Amino acid sequence: MSKPDPKAERPRVWEDDDAPEEFVAGKVWDVRLALRLAREARGHWKLFAGTFGVLAVLFALELAGPWILREAIDGPVMAAVAERAANPNAPASPERLRELWLWAAAYLGCATLTAGFRYLEVAHLGRTGQTVIADLRTKVFRHIQRLELAWFDQRPTGSLVTRVTSDIENLNEMFTSGLVTLGFDCLRIAVLLVVLFVLNAKLALVVTLLMPLLVGVSIVFRGGARNAHREVRGRLSRLNGYLQEVLSGVRVVQVFRRERRVSERFASLLDRYLDANVRTILLFALFFPALDLVVNGIQAATVWAGGVDIASGALQVGLFFQFWLYVNKLLDPVRELGERYNILQSAFASSERIFQVLDTEPAIVSPPPERARRAAPRAGHVRFENVSFEYLSGTPVLRDVSFEIPSGATIAVVGATGAGKSTLVNLLLRFYEPTRGRITIDGVDLREFDLAALRSQFGLVLQEDFLFAGTVRENLVMERAEVSAASLQLALDASRASEVIARLEGGLDAPVAERGATLSTGERQLLAIARALAGEPHFVVLDEATASVDSETEQAIEEAKENLLQGRSALVIAHRLSTVRRADGILVMHRGELRESGTHEELLRRGGIYARLFTLQFEHADSAAS
Amino acid sequence: MRELAALFRRFLRHKWTLLAGFACIPLASLGDVWITRLIGQALDRLRTGSDSDFLLGLVGLLLGVSALRGTFRFLQRWWLVCVSRWVEVRLKQDLFDKLVSLPTSFHVRTRSGDLVSRLTSDVENVRMFLGPGLMYVAGALVMVPSSLGYLMLLDWTVALWMVVPLVCMGAGMWWMSARLERHSLAVQETLAEIGHRAQESFAGTRVVKGYSREEQQARRFDQSSRRNLHHQIELARARGITHAITYTSKDLTLLPILLVGGAAMIDRSLPAGELFVFIDLTAKVFWPIIALGWMVGVYPRSVVSARRIQELLATPREIDEPAQPIELGEVQGRIELRDVTFTYPGARTPTLSNIDLAVAPASVLGIVGPTGAGKTTLLNLLARIFDARGEVLLDGVDVRRLRLSTLRGALGYVPQDSFLFSDTWRNNVAFGAERELDDAEIDELARRACMAGELERFPKGRDQRIGERGVTLSGGQRQRTAIARALARDPRILVLDDALSAVDTETESQLVRNLKSASHGRTVILAAHRLSTVRHADQIIVLDEGRIVQRGTHAQLLAREGWYAQTWKRQQVQAELAGL
Repeated sequence: MSKPDPKAERPRVWEDDDAPEEFVAGKVWDVRLALRLAREARGHWKLFAGTFGVLAVLFALELAGPWILREAIDGPVMAAVAERAANPNAPASPERLRELWLWAAAYLGCATLTAGFRYLEVAHLGRTGQTVIADLRTKVFRHIQRLELAWFDQRPTGSLVTRVTSDIENLNEMFTSGLVTLGFDCLRIAVLLVVLFVLNAKLALVVTLLMPLLVGVSIVFRGGARNAHREVRGRLSRLNGYLQEVLSGVRVVQVFRRERRVSERFASLLDRYLDANVRTILLFALFFPALDLVVNGIQAATVWAGGVDIASGALQVGLFFQFWLYVNKLLDPVRELGERYNILQSAFASSERIFQVLDTEPAIVSPPPERARRAAPRAGHVRFENVSFEYLSGTPVLRDVSFEIPSGATIAVVGATGAGKSTLVNLLLRFYEPTRGRITIDGVDLREFDLAALRSQFGLVLQEDFLFAGTVRENLVMERAEVSAASLQLALDASRASEVIARLEGGLDAPVAERGATLSTGERQLLAIARALAGEPHFVVLDEATASVDSETEQAIEEAKENLLQGRSALVIAHRLSTVRRADGILVMHRGELRESGTHEELLRRGGIYARLFTLQFEHADSAAS
Repeated sequence: MRELAALFRRFLRHKWTLLAGFACIPLASLGDVWITRLIGQALDRLRTGSDSDFLLGLVGLLLGVSALRGTFRFLQRWWLVCVSRWVEVRLKQDLFDKLVSLPTSFHVRTRSGDLVSRLTSDVENVRMFLGPGLMYVAGALVMVPSSLGYLMLLDWTVALWMVVPLVCMGAGMWWMSARLERHSLAVQETLAEIGHRAQESFAGTRVVKGYSREEQQARRFDQSSRRNLHHQIELARARGITHAITYTSKDLTLLPILLVGGAAMIDRSLPAGELFVFIDLTAKVFWPIIALGWMVGVYPRSVVSARRIQELLATPREIDEPAQPIELGEVQGRIELRDVTFTYPGARTPTLSNIDLAVAPASVLGIVGPTGAGKTTLLNLLARIFDARGEVLLDGVDVRRLRLSTLRGALGYVPQDSFLFSDTWRNNVAFGAERELDDAEIDELARRACMAGELERFPKGRDQRIGERGVTLSGGQRQRTAIARALARDPRILVLDDALSAVDTETESQLVRNLKSASHGRTVILAAHRLSTVRHADQIIVLDEGRIVQRGTHAQLLAREGWYAQTWKRQQVQAELAGL
């Protein structure tokens, strides 16, 4: 039951949301998205408040350092210099020196305190961003889990994984570099400008008038850099894509002796990649000197404007130092603005994709809690009533199928690939909804049951059953409340999985690799049956494996199946003669229609499709096994 | 270290550019120091009185020096980073050529993801270290001593005291780099774990939903996410410490300036302008020192990457060209296998045992048998993708004594997975040819591969892009395209590895007829699951567990009890059912 209909080659509609970034024209600032992100982060407002607090204190401390420097120089140092100018032979007064020492001590204290807050700046900001995205990540994951199977079937797994990995990680940048730092940078620039004006209005005016030049250079450059970077990324992804492609087809390349040709093609892609890179290098090589030139220009202007005042003594040296250091602090965030802008853009593209997922409402849900049925069905009588189904509208997969699974009976489904067998299972478990008709249990429509309550009544064994990375026990119990130690033990014995487990080092606590790669097909099947049995289900849905296993394991699986089906209503997609023989009824599916039904003997006597299928699928398989 | 040095030799190929770039570094640094000095001197001059001529001259000089320094900085960056990119591109090309020349056995045992990462992140790590990295180091090695030296000249006590926090900073970065590396590794690992968890849950969604385990999966996912959070916070802490160390060191350099410099000012041994030089130059040596610390941090990673690159470059080709190859002239297409046994490296049992087989030129051989019987392996031996024990002969000559290009040039190969490039249909087909193909030839190949009809329906005809960013071909269309590609070589021997499985039976018989037609007969080897594919073959062999268990023509094999007859019957029923 891997794919609903593998041979039909129905076109899969990939969403184009995995197009490389180059094709996504992201917005730079999107108020709607920003507000929504802020809402997502609201639960952590304390962390954000803390971050702002840390940044504010740090900012104050940063301002304090140059201030102390100025106080020291314009105060005791200049006073002492003046005293000695008046009286060149007198030693420096100890009073002034003591004052200087005091200011130095103050500076040391300030620097020590700053160290602490610098640590907090990074550590706390990191904690804030990561905590917010950890919550959001689980939220997105949980939401994806609630979406219906049809949604999964339409998307490559890789693109879904991207939502909870790189897209979410991008948001970290959004919260930290974007919202917090950018917000604070703006505040910092504003405050510094005010301080500069208070210190010396004339110099501040000069700086303020020249600042747009710096902002302009930064923005013009970042715009160019963004395009250049996008170009580089696009070409790099082409290059890597081609590399990957050639590696996966290396045999063809070699047999056709086309090593040189693919090498030339790779070289031409490399050329294009290099071209784009050279443009970026040129841009960056120009940018930094240009930026420095502007900064030096601002500095020169400051000296020019301040020069006269220094000469006249109206501007004290210490104040000039302080001003100078503040200007440097002002220019840093202005320089960074362009960088932040890029981060925001990429983060907005990611958040757009994430919200797209969060805004997708699951199509198959439980009815409202007050109306949902939770109780286990008493008899367990399943009816398909005129069920039709289409995965894609216009191409019916099931046509008007009606049958019953009487309480406690095993119904086997047979048919060629693509006949619609798996679809029956998908509908019974409400992975999909019938396009027409309905399915009932004890006369109650499936749609009236609470979804989790409904599915927990089923024991599901898939053809290539899925094992998760973890221990054997975790895979069998899967944290189901209804599985107790006793029921697990019963299940292990009944499924003969205990023999598999006995062979594993560590027994029930033996590790299982991703997808159960370390276990054989037969062992995986036994574990899957044990998993189903452990839940003591009312119903069983079993998709028999087609792969052959050694006869000993085959024997074990047979026994396990018998125990599984015993006394339960079951729908089995059958590939084994023993299964159809034992079944209480057989449904023969052909091209989405129910063509024949009856017991094994009845159907054989009829000489219809089943009789032909039987020779095809079972006769040979069993003669080969024996 | 040795590996890095070996890769650095590639940089030396551009030694003049490299030299010019490095020569700019001290010049640019000199400009930096000069600018600070100019302002400092101006301050002192201004304190004694001002004149507008002086100020104007100062501004002009400042801008001039800044422009000059900017030019050097530009050239330095431009030349050195360009060299690193040239080296990168050349290295990638060499690695790529190496990869496509390595035998299949290498590719079978190496994950392609690992190879890709060597060409991508490993090359980038090395480039960053040897290119911009060394540039920063050189910058720091020039800027820091020259600035400090200049400061020493001004006032050696202050300068000496300033060295203390700077050394502390370097030591701190060094000390923290191991811890940073450890935490970022843990962060990477937990991120990978998150990816795996998500991958697993989404791929196994039927089981998850079937057992209503959505909540449990979400909890497990959340646990991974929390583990990552833990390491992220640890990493942020380590970064915080590093951050605090570096910036506090910077802050502390002001302390000697204030205290010792202030005292010196009082003593009149240090003018205010020189105090300014101290303050400004300190800020300027800060970034180079940070860059130095960063280089220390990435050094181990670069060494590992360099080793991985060198390792790949040094991998020997296992299948070698013969020293004195035999020239065949025109290939006839006679194939013989004599007592051929092949065991995959690491496997316990042979995949093929004692195969004896002779195929006459211009005849058709069919190879059938259950999955895993060794059909594909046998075909691989013909193309010398692997070397086996025993002899594989082409026109009576052991394939190991032929040039690979002679052998493979005679071969048209259609692989089982009908691998195609995401490129135009035309380019995919022309890939097989030794020369350029014109439209008429492409159309003829399409006709022979029974693809002409489809080609007409493609929006862009022969120039239709297929695969990624193009139309998606069905399995049958892919197979027929791969056949057209093989026919494009007009090969003497055509090898099809179950390459008609997705083609309907009617088209199949038309195709098989088309395949045989060549000017003077072509040898065709068909491996197949569907027996109808091989029914018209001149000779059919049935492989089972690596041995030939039956051989003969279709009629002969049907007349005998055994796998062939049984399977034929089964497949007839299957065909009948499909037609119902």
